[in-house]
Amino acid sequence: MAGIRSALDLAEAGRDVVLMDKAYSIGGLMTSLDRTFPTNNCDLCTLSPHLSESGRDLRIELMPLSRLDDVQGEAGEFKATVTSEPRYIDLAKCTACGECYRAFPEAVRFTPGLDHRAPTCMRYPQATPYAFSIDMERCDNIDELVRICPASAILPEDTRKTRTLDVGSIILAPGADLFNPRVLDTYQYGVLPDVVTSLDYERILSASGPTKGELLRPSNGKSPKKIAWIQCVGSRGVQKGLVSYCSSACCMYALKEAMVTRERFGGEVETTIFYMDMRTAGKDYETYLERARNEYGVRLVRSRPHTVEMEPSTGELVLSYFTYDGKVALTERFDMVVLTVGFRIGAELTEMASRLGIELNQHNFAQTGTFNPVATSRPGIYVSGLFESPKDIPATVVQASAAACCAAADLSPLRVVSRKEEELLPERDVEGEEPRIGVFVCDCGFNIGSVVNVAEIAQSMSRLPQVEVSEVVGHGCSRESIEHIQKTIRDRKLNRVVMGACSPRTHETLFQDMLRKAGINKYLLEIANLRDQDAWVHSDRPRDASAKADELMRMAVATVRHARPLTDYHLAMNKDVLVVGGGVAGMSASLSLADMGYRVFLVERSGKLGGVARNVHRTLRGEDVQAGIDALIDRTEHHDRIQVLKNAMIVDHSGMAGMFKTGIQVAPQMFYREIKHGITILATGALPNRPKEYLLGRHKAVVTQLDLDGLLARDPEAARGWNDVVMIQCVGSRVPENPNCSRVCCQAAVKNALRIRELNPDACIYVLYRDMRTAGFDEDYFRKAREQGIIFTPYDLDAKPEVEPSGDAVSVTFTDPILRRRFRLDADCLALSTGFIADEESTEDLGAIFKLPRTPDGYFLEEHVKLRPVDLPIPGFFVAGTAHAPKTIRESIAQGQAVAGRAQTLLARDVINLGAAVAQVDGTKCAACLICVRACPFGVPFINEKGYSEIDPSKCHGCGVCASECPAKAIQLMQFEDDQIMAKLEGLLERIS
Amino acid sequence: METFEPVIVAFCCHYCAYTAADMAGSMRLHYPPNVKIIRVPCSGKVDAIHIMKALEKGADGVIVAGCLEGDCHFKNGNIRAAHRVDSVRKILGDIGMGGDRVEMFTMSAGMGERFALVATEFTEKICKLGANPVKSGTDMGMHQAAC
Repeated sequence: MAGIRSALDLAEAGRDVVLMDKAYSIGGLMTSLDRTFPTNNCDLCTLSPHLSESGRDLRIELMPLSRLDDVQGEAGEFKATVTSEPRYIDLAKCTACGECYRAFPEAVRFTPGLDHRAPTCMRYPQATPYAFSIDMERCDNIDELVRICPASAILPEDTRKTRTLDVGSIILAPGADLFNPRVLDTYQYGVLPDVVTSLDYERILSASGPTKGELLRPSNGKSPKKIAWIQCVGSRGVQKGLVSYCSSACCMYALKEAMVTRERFGGEVETTIFYMDMRTAGKDYETYLERARNEYGVRLVRSRPHTVEMEPSTGELVLSYFTYDGKVALTERFDMVVLTVGFRIGAELTEMASRLGIELNQHNFAQTGTFNPVATSRPGIYVSGLFESPKDIPATVVQASAAACCAAADLSPLRVVSRKEEELLPERDVEGEEPRIGVFVCDCGFNIGSVVNVAEIAQSMSRLPQVEVSEVVGHGCSRESIEHIQKTIRDRKLNRVVMGACSPRTHETLFQDMLRKAGINKYLLEIANLRDQDAWVHSDRPRDASAKADELMRMAVATVRHARPLTDYHLAMNKDVLVVGGGVAGMSASLSLADMGYRVFLVERSGKLGGVARNVHRTLRGEDVQAGIDALIDRTEHHDRIQVLKNAMIVDHSGMAGMFKTGIQVAPQMFYREIKHGITILATGALPNRPKEYLLGRHKAVVTQLDLDGLLARDPEAARGWNDVVMIQCVGSRVPENPNCSRVCCQAAVKNALRIRELNPDACIYVLYRDMRTAGFDEDYFRKAREQGIIFTPYDLDAKPEVEPSGDAVSVTFTDPILRRRFRLDADCLALSTGFIADEESTEDLGAIFKLPRTPDGYFLEEHVKLRPVDLPIPGFFVAGTAHAPKTIRESIAQGQAVAGRAQTLLARDVINLGAAVAQVDGTKCAACLICVRACPFGVPFINEKGYSEIDPSKCHGCGVCASECPAKAIQLMQFEDDQIMAKLEGLLERIS
Repeated sequence: METFEPVIVAFCCHYCAYTAADMAGSMRLHYPPNVKIIRVPCSGKVDAIHIMKALEKGADGVIVAGCLEGDCHFKNGNIRAAHRVDSVRKILGDIGMGGDRVEMFTMSAGMGERFALVATEFTEKICKLGANPVKSGTDMGMHQAAC
């Protein structure tokens, strides 16, 4: 995932990329997963368009089955030696027909999943490259294998090859291994068949997995009724063979697996997760946890079960555990146990690191720093994804774009090279032809197929007039289906296509591209949204969902008859950038873009750069934040290509990607200035929260963690006088007013507690928490704090600590669940972990000025939570830092670099595509009544010298207001013409009246 | 008597309401399948004639859904849409059909739950109003509530 994202960003920005993978197809771990959190979408549907994108992109050369042996030289001029293993198949010839597999099933490689011989012998059905790979050693009759291949693609003489590549920079995105729990004998993985790992379970749920998506117990093939998840298997441990860090992504994926199980198999399957701390600290992850618990009925038990045994008479698995109050030993029976395993770095990667000369941390992950989150110790070599640290997919995608940004900055300035044009079939002129419609209905694995009867829909559409072909296509977005549809378009001379698929918002571009490559105009397409707006929302009423699908398809078929070939409009791209907000994220984005050669306007509303991070002195890992920020500020203020505008406010905005205009007012004179720019980056931050709780602001012993950080830096002596210190976590976070986790407070509490312990070894320090969320390597500091005698005590929302003034101290009362007693002590310092709250005032104003959507808690809403985490839904807008969601300084900087990595894909273009949805005037019908002139929100229409209204397509935004107001119906909005809308209504309602 | 399943057309703007409807899907929220969405670039694109035709052809209710006030991607398309919906409601009232079958809603792209709620409540309302009188050819106002 990380490698693909970096490669796509760089290729789109006009750079040439070699994408190598040790496996025979790209895609990594994500391709083995069933669905991903927090959208619970199928992964293949989200990843495969990207895979085929990278398979297609002519600037990306794929090198599967390859290993990076050696790197000589330095940044900008590396010589990389790469060895490729033989595939024994000619990629150019293989059509993936599967004949070789049918004849020699043993000679084909397939790794993930329970059964190494899964239904398909490629890694997964949408593999890129779309070709097989042969294990020659296991083939007993090579001549027969060669003979059987209808494409003559078998290369028995294929050999290992070594190449030396000249490259400017290198990105390492090799992923990580999953822990193999066989070393833990008490869980009996590998002994008891119903004990599976989380990846095994993903494969069981997966439509392409060994059970074709049926939930069956491996031991007896029956449906399980009770499933348990055990968290942190192999992670957060100190025994031999385990790792001490937290693997970060596992809490969320266990919740996802349990939710998907409840959703797909109904209330019949009980799901229980045994956990130590629920670490759902990402954007909106807390609400995901609440949904799992409250809506899906996933049971959560705070405990780490110690043993799994089988009851021989029934075959049930017996879990033994203690509840977290330590009093009761319990046993409980389950049909299946899923071991939630985390990530680790294998010998292959540590060896590669030593060959390349890059430093690793104590856990063998690549060493990086807070202010350079994707740079390895060797200049010019960058890292992203799991090899940098354990993380989830959104964080991986952010790092991948950040690495693409850093890698591009090391390359020589981009020469304007016109993009290699793919040889497209000439567009067939369909004007005057009768419509010949092809209808293709995706089942999208279970997403559509398990709710809607797709075969019946395809049948029913085939009876409609002018429909030449109507069929079911599985995953319509897979490379295989796209090629099939393109072939059908050509063979059957189709001139209109209807896709019954997912949302046109996500897949329209892909399917338009498919039409264009099949030789017809891309606008001869109509998509019926059978997934997001039918199967997903009506899974409770499958019959009605099928009936609705039928109607949606009829509407699409009726509409597509009226589709016309259209031409896109283009305009010159303005290559300047506006960055709003001068905190670490905004400065990182500005510097990255300025270093690439773009001019940046950085607008900051206060009189100083630095943002909230100015108040932080050290990170948990001990890095000096102030020095880092000062260096950032100094570089930003003195960079030739960055113009910093402080005390400035955004007041108006217009235009579209590539041609924005933004008005700002600068204090103290409040003079007005208009900036023209092509890209807008929002890095406006969040606010330190200060809720009126626990005497905050009313008693001098009560401070926030941020205050305490400053106090310990300014006046360390103060801490030496303290006897008792109490910290309360989640104050003002994870509550109805501010439902999400603030992500930084657990680390801040551990950091400040360790600092106080250092200054005053005699102080008693208590941390009252709900879940300690020291993810990744921060877990080591949490353990260190416990080892140093800092007391961590959990509390529940229904038994919150109570605080009263007590002279110079405050008295804190709380319940200790192990001793089951209320405690009361006088704290000389009470530190509240108050975290972040969205800067509602500024996101609301800016959201209104820029027309950008926000989440219910006031953060900007990104285009796609997993795959486009820093793109905003309106083209040309990006978001970085805590304006997106609470995050650490390191993550903010990574996002700052990531927006630069994403922005370069647009900035590298010389023209912007405006699409074809523009209004056109029929001069013969126009009465020059001026209604359109007055109605247009952008003042585009004017009455030309011929006496009728004229609309400049390069200025038209395509809203269609003029078309709907025009009394003579002289204006039509292309793509949304009146006859198409009427046809939709006809298609829906024809059978009623 | 067969239960009345109304047909409801929802014109949804691409940037907010249509995205909110997709969001309802991502969140697996349920709402009645009676609601069929037609995507338009902006709620301001929805012509009075589109609404009228929908009713003439037998739709029992029409939703026009746009962005929250002040959030329209095209500045004020949603405000124009709201005015247009008002005038259509007035005409429907004048001809005795009642304006309640047509309603304007606003929501942001992130409001999947609001979309599901709007779809559910509007469907219930149309159920109470009963079938579009155009369909049965009965006199306006003679229809019966059937569900």
